[in-house]
Amino acid sequence: MAPKLDKSLIGSEFDHTEFPPVTAEHIREYAAAALETNPRHLTANDAELVAPPTYVVSLRGRHFMPANLQTVLNIGRRGFDAGKDIECGVPVRVGDALTATSTVHDIYEKTGRSGSMVFVVLRTKITNQRGESVAVIDQKMMLR
Amino acid sequence: MTNPTAFEDVDVGDELPPIHLTLTPEQVKRYAEAANMPGGRFMSDELAKAEGLPGQIVPGNFSLALFSRLITDWSPRAKVMRLSATFRGLVHPEQPLTASGVVTEKHSSDQGEFIECDLVIESDAGDRLVTGTATVRLPPQE
Repeated sequence: MAPKLDKSLIGSEFDHTEFPPVTAEHIREYAAAALETNPRHLTANDAELVAPPTYVVSLRGRHFMPANLQTVLNIGRRGFDAGKDIECGVPVRVGDALTATSTVHDIYEKTGRSGSMVFVVLRTKITNQRGESVAVIDQKMMLR
Repeated sequence: MTNPTAFEDVDVGDELPPIHLTLTPEQVKRYAEAANMPGGRFMSDELAKAEGLPGQIVPGNFSLALFSRLITDWSPRAKVMRLSATFRGLVHPEQPLTASGVVTEKHSSDQGEFIECDLVIESDAGDRLVTGTATVRLPPQE
């Protein structure tokens, strides 16, 4: 019988990163690279410029996942991005000082045609300098 | 109604105007750099193959960004409240893609007026490479 999946990491925080203030240049470059067409993200003046909803994915913390995740779950290093969910809060504007805190939100197992797969949901909460929620991002990783 | 400006303009079953595009390898690399995703798999065929992939791939985040654009091209006044995507297959540059969507639900509460959409990115062979949903807020007529 397969060993029971160790879910002890659920709830653990593995990254907390404070980012330098958001620049107009980065909002415009992200929006252009993402093929956005809305002038609010591209050509508005700095005071009116807002980042597209998916801009928050560019905020990469120091740790992508807990360092001991694969050891605890007893799984290999092969994994891929299975899905993502972004709950959008207040828009990101030029000069915002954003903070991201990441935790393990869920761990579960699914058995498919090609065997057993472990899914890990990593939740990143991003807030601005006023403590307002900018985004909650759930990243679902499939590991085997 | 092609470009709704108010909640009343939208009906369940309305289709979002599709986006047809073929991403170039340079566009994929530029997105990955702007999104701080330095993985070789997003940079070139050569680096992707070194990671065991068949070739350069499009980051899932880029697909999410295309979903976001699909919404705002449809209704520039719409505010995206939630975006979800399931990555079902690899998306490659130089592959003809169609992003499309349909309105599945409308609902109002004391929080405002909301529209639910189903979204998909398909290959020209009809493979559903990325599926998703969006919750969009569109204010009522003034």
